[in-house]
Amino acid sequence: MSTFPTPDPGVEVIAHPTSVPASPRTASARGRVWWPSAGTVRGGLLGGIATASGMALTATSGWLIVRASEQPVILTLLTAIVAVRAFGMARPVFRYWERLTSHDAALAMLAERRTSAYEALVPLTPARLGRRRRSDVLTGVVDDLTDVVDAQVRVAVPVISTAVAGGLAIVLTMLLSLPVGLVMLGLGVAVCLISTLAAYLESRSLPELLAARAEVTRVSELMASQSGELRAVGGWATALGWLDEAHAPLDRVTRRISAGRATAASLFLVAVGAAVAATAVIAQDLAVSTPVKALLVLTPVAVSEAVTPLVDAMRALARARGSEHRIDALLDLAPAVADEAAGADDEAAVADAPAPGDDPGHADDPTAGTRPGHTAYASSDVRARALTASWTGDRTDLAPTDLDVPAGSRVAVTGPNGSGKSTLLAVLARHLDPSGGTYLLGGTDVLHRPLEETRGHIAVVDDETHVFATTLRNNLTLARPDADDAEVGRALRAAGLTDLLEGLPDGLDTTLGSSGRGLSGGERARLGIARAHVSGRPVVLLDEPVAHLDPPTARAVVEDLTRLGSAPGTTGVAGTNAPAQTIIMVTHRDDGADLFDQVLEVRRPSGTMSATTAGGTDLHDSTDHTHDRTNGADRRRR
Amino acid sequence: MKPFDPRLLRAVPAARKPVAVLAATGVAGGAATIATAFALSAVVVAVVEGTDLVAPLAWLLGLFAVRAVLAAATERVAAWAGVSVSSALRAALLGRWGAVDADARLEPGAAVSLATAGTAAVEPYAARFLPTLVTAAVVPVLAIGTLLVVDWPSALVVVLTLPLLPVFAALIGKSTADSTERRWAALASLSGHFLDVVRGLPTLVTYGRARRQATTIREVSDRHRHATMETLRIAFLSSAALELLATISVAIVAVTVGLRLSHGSMTLGAGLVAILLAPEAYWPVRRVGAEYHVAADGAVALDVILAQLEPTPAAPRSSSTPAPNAAFDAELTGRTTRSRPNAAFGGVALAGGRVGEVRVVGVTYAYAGSPAAVLRDLDLAAGPGLTVVTGPSGVGKSTLLDLLAGLRSPGSGTVETPASHYVTQRPFLATGSVRSALTIGHPATDDQLWEALRAVEVDGVVAALPGGLSADLGDDGFGLSAGQRQRLALARAWLSPETLLLLDEPTAHLDPEGAEHVAAVVAELAERRVVVAVTHRDELLAHADHHLVLAAADASPVEVIPGAPSLPGSPRPAGEEGDR
Repeated sequence: MSTFPTPDPGVEVIAHPTSVPASPRTASARGRVWWPSAGTVRGGLLGGIATASGMALTATSGWLIVRASEQPVILTLLTAIVAVRAFGMARPVFRYWERLTSHDAALAMLAERRTSAYEALVPLTPARLGRRRRSDVLTGVVDDLTDVVDAQVRVAVPVISTAVAGGLAIVLTMLLSLPVGLVMLGLGVAVCLISTLAAYLESRSLPELLAARAEVTRVSELMASQSGELRAVGGWATALGWLDEAHAPLDRVTRRISAGRATAASLFLVAVGAAVAATAVIAQDLAVSTPVKALLVLTPVAVSEAVTPLVDAMRALARARGSEHRIDALLDLAPAVADEAAGADDEAAVADAPAPGDDPGHADDPTAGTRPGHTAYASSDVRARALTASWTGDRTDLAPTDLDVPAGSRVAVTGPNGSGKSTLLAVLARHLDPSGGTYLLGGTDVLHRPLEETRGHIAVVDDETHVFATTLRNNLTLARPDADDAEVGRALRAAGLTDLLEGLPDGLDTTLGSSGRGLSGGERARLGIARAHVSGRPVVLLDEPVAHLDPPTARAVVEDLTRLGSAPGTTGVAGTNAPAQTIIMVTHRDDGADLFDQVLEVRRPSGTMSATTAGGTDLHDSTDHTHDRTNGADRRRR
Repeated sequence: MKPFDPRLLRAVPAARKPVAVLAATGVAGGAATIATAFALSAVVVAVVEGTDLVAPLAWLLGLFAVRAVLAAATERVAAWAGVSVSSALRAALLGRWGAVDADARLEPGAAVSLATAGTAAVEPYAARFLPTLVTAAVVPVLAIGTLLVVDWPSALVVVLTLPLLPVFAALIGKSTADSTERRWAALASLSGHFLDVVRGLPTLVTYGRARRQATTIREVSDRHRHATMETLRIAFLSSAALELLATISVAIVAVTVGLRLSHGSMTLGAGLVAILLAPEAYWPVRRVGAEYHVAADGAVALDVILAQLEPTPAAPRSSSTPAPNAAFDAELTGRTTRSRPNAAFGGVALAGGRVGEVRVVGVTYAYAGSPAAVLRDLDLAAGPGLTVVTGPSGVGKSTLLDLLAGLRSPGSGTVETPASHYVTQRPFLATGSVRSALTIGHPATDDQLWEALRAVEVDGVVAALPGGLSADLGDDGFGLSAGQRQRLALARAWLSPETLLLLDEPTAHLDPEGAEHVAAVVAELAERRVVVAVTHRDELLAHADHHLVLAAADASPVEVIPGAPSLPGSPRPAGEEGDR
């Protein structure tokens, strides 16, 4: 079974703390969630005609019946019969037209919003997407965008339709009788007030609802994925208790939030009932024909049909506003890296390899494969002095760190969770600007070089390798579009995926990803490594690539990884004569660290780190942090 | 998809009440709607004929008030029903997964998806679709029944035309089924593209391929737009056709009523009631179609969930091992003293003579869907002391522990074990305090916790955390190294009252010194309990009372060798093992 579309995004896009400076994006560039596009306005007007037809159908039917009961000559009824028929036909026809128009407009807007949101996401990726579960954050963006665009169809169109039809009803009844028209105007005002109240009640509890849902999702995810581990330690009963605890607020908030809809639905009926009564009292003594009296009395009744969609519209509005707010909070963040040197070097534009056609890895552009970087940096020695960094600017996430990694060597970076390992890697990858110290690549300060040029030197493998829904070949050649099948095959073998390749029905042409063959966790980690290998970039940074694997598999993957660069002349870059790739891997596992040339242990932010060479003997689970050169600050501050 | 699956009420008793209340408010709402038609027609007649308005108006206002109350109640009940049903399903589903074998569960990704998004999708199904369904079942029947009394020719028209709606819907659906299916498939892949690219954005950024994808996104989005519109054109056309059909049917009623009125063969009141009631017979049926798309995901999910909840035909379960919780519950109810962990082992467990033995006889086990057995004809007897299991990767060491823990059931053979505490490879540490992580299975006092932490030498680390035992570990024990988490898990095992202790790679994340120390702790535990440990390192072997070497299932089965060190079949040369 595939995943279900989430009715409400289970994962909220939680942007980084507010201390991250916002970039000066203008709000007007994006418009507001409820502001209709031209197509939506057209759809709303068409919907207004459909709604008005429905109201007219009820009203004229009343006129017709009463007129008929006066037993006139049949011919005098013909006009009314034609009108009733026309209104009866017009309603579905205009409704159909409205739905096509408004959906087309919404889809056009969706294309627009997706493209612009994507473009805004690029400079924020990956540093501003949070430090874990980035793909969930990204999925949240996709869901939120859909919600926002949904508001066009589900909020703007019904609101415009009701306004148009209501306005027509008010004007026409005023022409027939001013007092009745005023009653209708009053009804219109009441509907506006009730809708506003409903929207307020809906949005008031929405953050709580989302939080409650997120907690239920967290607990059920944990129970569904770790039931074995929980039962093993006798914790299943406790976990079922957590589930009950998570369900209680969800139940409470869901009920509370329904108060908005309940209030609106009942007040609409109260308002309509009052309007019908008032109209009836006024109409009885009006100096108009009796059929017109019936028409006037039935008009407010017809309104109730027109306002019913507003209840759902207010709910969709509250939701879309929340989504819009989350998207803005994320997209308004300033990128974590400044590209001051951009434009200083036109070659940089070439280094940004042209993207493929339909498939992420489709290689149809001969210039795309220009192996970047070899001219920009003299060598690939990585050198850092007193490097510090911060994700938010108000605390230090990486303590002053020194680093010397000669080209072609293999370094393991370890340390407790939260010690700054991943932060160090983010700085080295140029995903995050350092807050202090220097970072030299081949002797050149990277901050003085264009961002893309430095990044073009470095391949990054994280703990959640994404497998694109395309062929195995495209999944690899997206790292270097001019790589041929032989190079791809060598990379797969080197990463330990020979068995996978041989087991695939169509070899490199087998479709992977969501629509194709699934990969195991180990295979995915290896695919990420093979991708880095295909890229031929001199430096490979790995951020806990085996974090989700069991110890034997993890060690096997790391063994294959460290062999990649270990035999000069035979491996190196995808079988070429290029020098072996430099490998810097963050891991909190000790398994396999002995296979690296150098092990760095990163200490908590206000401590420093010690680097040891050879063999990983200094690599240990230290319960003793006292030998750090500390500055007296609380070492455990996070 | 069935509109309503009665299995829901059988499998999830908690859903019965919400569904019953939904049905009740639906019926009441339907009755109020019918009554309103009468009151409204009375008001119109009074206005037209200039008669006294007070009585009909009082009725009308009263009915509007009643409907207002019912409308509010319906919204509240719908929300309550939605959240109750989906929560009850989620609890039932997870409760079931906690009781079945590892093999009887879905694979983790699908399980997570079903327990989160799947159960959540049932919420709109219960909150929106079920009320619509109730209305569709009740209101047309009431409307037709009333019409039959008030004006039978109109009722006849409605009875003859109403069935055309579902027939028409089916015909339209059938004639467009092929093209619709084709389009949906194309749509799914187009709409999945954006999600795929966005989720892969970090990779695209790494390899400098992100910016150019923007053009592709626009192109694909435009193709998605056109493909969607093709599909919607047909979907909307069919609903427009149904509305037209309903309108025409109502028009037929109106025309016959009008003709009879103009001939004087009918009263105005009856005529008005007829034309006010006729639409009530049609729109609820159309609403069901309109709400279907809201409910479709939920209905599919419901189907899958109910299939999971159905009692599976009992697999030949030859194991006598109770599930861990069942064992624990039995222990708790049987001997209340055992809820105090430290009294449990050593004192009670041994002195009480309740030390169970592990007895595994002729066990063969294969993973679900795999023809080859991982374990074949395995025999194992383990009493108090340390039994160390070694063997090459993938030979089934962890699977053996799963079997001993009762998480899996053997295909054949028997497994008899006392209640166990099992430290898995990646031991579970919940988000929350150190205290709650340690007491997840059994309560313990802070003194007992510190004693256990001291025993595994992680007390210094915990004492230095802000808040000590109350310190928040965060996800996966954020702030702790893998080795520290391993030790916390061992402290928890130290605290547990169960007789049997199962340890999977207890020294995996430790440096040699740490591993030696942990091995000593394990040896100490083995003096009082039955300990079975899986390892690929040497430290534990030095302390082993028994050593089991697992070989691949197709090779000679297993050897059980008392007296651990220097054994043939041991993965390391004998010389290395005597170090300690």
